[in-house]
Amino acid sequence: MTADAVLTPTPGASAPAPTRGRRFSLPVLLLAIAGALVALAAVRTLTGANDLTSNGAVRAALQSAIPIGLAGLGGLWAERAGVVNIGLEGQLIFGTWFGAWAGYHWGPWVGVLAAIAGGALGGLLHALATVTFGVDHIVSGVAITILAGGVARYLSQLAFKGLPGGGVTQSPPVPELPRWSVPGVSSLDGLERKHWFLLSDLAGILRGALTEVSALTVIAALLVPLTFWVLWRTPFGLRLRSCGENPKAAESLGVNVYRYKYYGVVISGALAGLGGAFLSMVASTIYREGQTGGRGYIGLAAMIFGNWRPGGLASGALLFGYTDALQLRGGSKSVHALLLFLALLLLAVGVWQLVRRRLAVGAIAVVVALLVGVWYATTDSIPGEFVQAAPHITTLVVLALASQRLRMPAADGQRYRRGG
Amino acid sequence: MKVLVIVGVAAVALGTAACGGKSSGGNSDGGKKTVKVGLAYDIGGRGDKSFNDAAAAGLERVKKDLNLDVKELEANKDETDNDKLSRLKLLCTSGYNPVIAVGFAYAGDKDTGPIASAAKACPNTKFAIIDDASVKAPNLANLTFAEEQGSFLVGAAAALKSKTGKVGFIGGCQVDLIKKFEAGYVAGAKAVKADIQVEPNYLSTVADKCSGFNDPAKGQTAAEGMFDQGADVVYQAAGGSGTGVFKAAKAKGKLAIGVDSDQYETSAPELKDVILTSMLKRVDNAVFQFVKDEGEGKFTAGETVFDLKADGVGYSTSGGKLDDIKSKLDEYKQQIIDGKITVPSKPANG
Repeated sequence: MTADAVLTPTPGASAPAPTRGRRFSLPVLLLAIAGALVALAAVRTLTGANDLTSNGAVRAALQSAIPIGLAGLGGLWAERAGVVNIGLEGQLIFGTWFGAWAGYHWGPWVGVLAAIAGGALGGLLHALATVTFGVDHIVSGVAITILAGGVARYLSQLAFKGLPGGGVTQSPPVPELPRWSVPGVSSLDGLERKHWFLLSDLAGILRGALTEVSALTVIAALLVPLTFWVLWRTPFGLRLRSCGENPKAAESLGVNVYRYKYYGVVISGALAGLGGAFLSMVASTIYREGQTGGRGYIGLAAMIFGNWRPGGLASGALLFGYTDALQLRGGSKSVHALLLFLALLLLAVGVWQLVRRRLAVGAIAVVVALLVGVWYATTDSIPGEFVQAAPHITTLVVLALASQRLRMPAADGQRYRRGG
Repeated sequence: MKVLVIVGVAAVALGTAACGGKSSGGNSDGGKKTVKVGLAYDIGGRGDKSFNDAAAAGLERVKKDLNLDVKELEANKDETDNDKLSRLKLLCTSGYNPVIAVGFAYAGDKDTGPIASAAKACPNTKFAIIDDASVKAPNLANLTFAEEQGSFLVGAAAALKSKTGKVGFIGGCQVDLIKKFEAGYVAGAKAVKADIQVEPNYLSTVADKCSGFNDPAKGQTAAEGMFDQGADVVYQAAGGSGTGVFKAAKAKGKLAIGVDSDQYETSAPELKDVILTSMLKRVDNAVFQFVKDEGEGKFTAGETVFDLKADGVGYSTSGGKLDDIKSKLDEYKQQIIDGKITVPSKPANG
């Protein structure tokens, strides 16, 4: 431990959560959500794209969002401990495979546990390479993703071949996890069908979010606040985050940095493994080679979108899941209607900025809003390619516009050697 | 650090090559030992319950009926054109002739793609590629199918069975090959009911490496969307994503149509009752016919289309859901064979 490292700590290390409670207080946040909901309802009523807030769309959005969100949470745990985990995609693959394998043999809950274990194993490998041996994080992560594909194929050859419905590229059908409904909510059906402004929208959203909810969905949703609580409200979390901000300072204060990095990366892999279990046991009931389809990377995008915070990450995942679900549900009309929503949103932001006398930003937002509005008015649909690229484009835009406000852990992705 | 990656990649490649290659020992001393047939699978390989399994079935027939020696090699997800080329070369340089490449993935660039390069490297080997007509070589046969004709018939079946006047189509990837399925399906449905609404949707594009062929979750979401919007029969040409479509149909109490092989036979028992029919693509017939012709010295370079007439496409009747309309479908079939109906192979809107 050199002296200057202690004397010149990286900015922010002394105040681990400088933004908490200042930018978005709870009432402001609720107001923003309510405003967005009203705008969405208005757009739906205006355009007649009723799928925007239908219960099916909301359910599908949740379904798409959860694997992304779990991968993102995994990324958060690793990066808060200072390790970039680009092997999330590989850990997702481990999760899908082990989940389906154990689920087929011993029932869905054992499958979930096996998926977590499989993902954690992938995380352990990444921790071993990056923390113990000091391998570059990106190199190790990419290697794990490549390795996972090969290992899954090899294991399928051993475990799935010859089983009814199984083969080298897919598992036999896996039993489903239980699904729950909040009693009474499904009676909102009639209200949703009326397509009234706001009321029907709320009915659709409630039905989608509260009926036929998989047990894993509930667990995933609970993991977001749990992650926040553990990382920002417990001594364990503080130590873990200190390893991502300034590991030398942390070590000087007696934190076993290697061990905490291991914790972070293994939990990261376990969360991605759970996301994999969701993919192969809830979103579908089969393991299929290549079924992760880059969701691990989109999870990382969601994490960056969310400024390395659980709440922001969850909204990013929901946003990406929502656009994806709308597109998949054959809603070229609904995705097109989203353009109008985006235009309204940008206009609101622009006006707000103008009121606050931030003329440049406000003007840009208003101009972009008008452009998007023109785009909406002059076209009938959005190319599918554009929608598929939406998560990446959104993340780029967020990075470009909000880079001043985004703050990744200060020592994220850096190789750390004890006593070095 | 780079070494680690390279070693990792090599290990994976070796690992899968070692376990992917399996030589079927041939029937001891059947007199035709001189002819060895090589077959390279598309992504998905044996066990995909669909396209590759159909090719495998053809190969089994070759093995049994013609008593030939065969070797099968499987492809890997995310492999490069070079991997495909070396697989083909491995087969032809170790004496396999003819060599069959299953799937358009082997085509690539029409001059420098895997199949074109392999055909050049082994000029004395007869090659066949399934589902591609773009690559031409004097020792290459292009085996293609009139998918639009088979799709026409299942489209007609969908329209005859639909009560809501709305049916759906889900393609795994937005490529010309899958658009052929859509075009035929739409034409078939409209032939029965001119005002029927056909909703097409694609799960992926070439830009995301056609991941929509392997994503049952996406298949399910897309199908649920169609059922929610009033469709009651959905036809899927989406490979491994198809099970998601069947699941959605099951959950919503609607019907779905399978593709390539008879998916009533290959699906999980609880999903069987949603499968109205399957559009059959007789890759097995094409493989068998090609090997047989080649053995008799009747190799023809260039495109051979396996259509309704040649029993290259068709529809399945297992499950008995078509019993009441089968005569109507056979009428359409005859009209197509006689050339009275010409089925388009491109969707109206491109």
